[in-house]
Amino acid sequence: MIEVRGLTKAYGPIVAIRDVSFEVEEGEIIGFLGPNAAGKTTTMRILTGFSPPSRGVARIAGFDVRRDPIEVKRRVGYLPESVPLYPEMLVAKFLHYVAAVRGIPRRERSREVDCVIERCGLESMRRRVIRNLSKGYRQRVGLAQALVGNPPVLILDEPTVGLDPKQIIEIRDMIRSLAKEHTVLLSTHILPEVTMVCERVIIIHRGRIVAQDSVSRLAQEAENEVQIEVLAGGTPDEVLRVLRAVPDVVGVSAQGAEAYIVKASAGRPVAERAASALVGAGLAVRGIQEKARSLEEVFMEVVTSDDERGPS
Amino acid sequence: MRNTWAICKREFAAFFLTPTGYVVVGTYALISGLGFTASFIMHCRRTQAPGLHGFTGVPDFEEMFLSPYLVFCGLLVMFIGPLVTMRLLAGERERGTMELLLTHPVRDREIVFGKYGAALGMLLVLMGVVGIHLLVVAHFVDVEPAVLAFGLLAAFLMGAAFMSMGLFISAMARSQATAGTLTFGLWFVFYILGTFAERIPGQISVPEQWPAMAREAASLVYAFLHGLVVELPLDAHAQDMAQGIVEPADIAYYVLFSGVFVFLTFRALESRKWRA
Repeated sequence: MIEVRGLTKAYGPIVAIRDVSFEVEEGEIIGFLGPNAAGKTTTMRILTGFSPPSRGVARIAGFDVRRDPIEVKRRVGYLPESVPLYPEMLVAKFLHYVAAVRGIPRRERSREVDCVIERCGLESMRRRVIRNLSKGYRQRVGLAQALVGNPPVLILDEPTVGLDPKQIIEIRDMIRSLAKEHTVLLSTHILPEVTMVCERVIIIHRGRIVAQDSVSRLAQEAENEVQIEVLAGGTPDEVLRVLRAVPDVVGVSAQGAEAYIVKASAGRPVAERAASALVGAGLAVRGIQEKARSLEEVFMEVVTSDDERGPS
Repeated sequence: MRNTWAICKREFAAFFLTPTGYVVVGTYALISGLGFTASFIMHCRRTQAPGLHGFTGVPDFEEMFLSPYLVFCGLLVMFIGPLVTMRLLAGERERGTMELLLTHPVRDREIVFGKYGAALGMLLVLMGVVGIHLLVVAHFVDVEPAVLAFGLLAAFLMGAAFMSMGLFISAMARSQATAGTLTFGLWFVFYILGTFAERIPGQISVPEQWPAMAREAASLVYAFLHGLVVELPLDAHAQDMAQGIVEPADIAYYVLFSGVFVFLTFRALESRKWRA
């Protein structure tokens, strides 16, 4: 549904994204993950036809964003990050206007507007002036305008930013329900959001894609490495020596007084083995705890290892 | 076409959903009304005692009252118009809604025509105010309706030309304040230029000792510049038309002027595709 190949966008000497390639199948819900200023918005703006790429190809439903921008725009519903709306308009009037510019015939507009108002839970707000809406409702209006005309592709730029926890859950539920009929590309810098909402994740950093995989596989990769926190008495040298000798241990590092972090390949009862090894060596074990690595840490690792390599 | 209409309608409605529309129409009605009253009283005095005011006969109504008043109404658009045009595109950019507008399946020309249409809509409302004054005139003075209609057309064309320039600047500027100030400044320069036009001699005196070719070239260049100063100002072509003397060239001037700026607006909007 979305096909991106070798996309590059430069603003003068500043390269916002470099050689970005990915594909999104119909009906997929993709998380576009990266720290701020990674190039998420730039990529999305190219996909929506708002700004053209410097190099590379982006296609939506087979239409090139540069050659057939109108056809692309017909098929894409876009919620920009800042949720720009016309503050002086009534919610229903605004959605009517969007329906008109999205080419919905006059007779069907009212029905279409009613439909998106219902889908986004805006029934009680339809006669309100947009200026007076809360941030959460504004977000819903933004989502509603993206849904007008039922475009097959939805591009949502940080849809949950600035909302309170309850609103975040509501918006996420809404997005998840959309995935049945739409292909959704969603950008965020919040990790749990990806695990909760998306099937696949594309991690972008410094304008380049550094990882892309299904969320479950990335999470599995995260689980494949276990971290064990050990609190043990005795001299650090001795403790380190004993811990390193435990099978399946990949690495040990001291973390201040009597605290150690043991890294091990997963699925093995390494914690138990480490405990008995320490006790066997006559060292006091004060505490031992297994910590699964979260997706967050995988993300941080990907990003920081890329930082160490430095910008190319 | 449908999109143009939708954009135009939204923009026009927005004027009256915010105070802008009422402020613009209210101020215009107030000033044009004051101008109308003042010049009407003045004209009555002149008609009653022409000698006192240096006239040898009854002063011509069209020339002494109608034309100056209508040109004044057209020029008044210059002062009020920036409030209308500055929000057209710069306003969208400032509020970020440009991103929404440009990701809807609309063509650039639909945006430009829609926005210009909304500005012309506002202009029509303003001309409605002038129209009321002209109805008063038609009721009390024996004047041909065609003269009044063409007078109104002259003021409208002048306003439309102002608006096209404002639209272009609005397409270039990032903020409404810049767009408004710049528009007013540029219009004012045009206006000042026009006031000088009458005093500039029609020919330049070239030193005799210059070779014939240089003399010819100098006078050609001068004639061109002179033409620019005399013909370009927006009120220059309205004066005759406002008296009911309609020349196709005058109408063509305004249509062309607006056309050029609408075209430039289109190009300015398009420039986002190659500008960073």
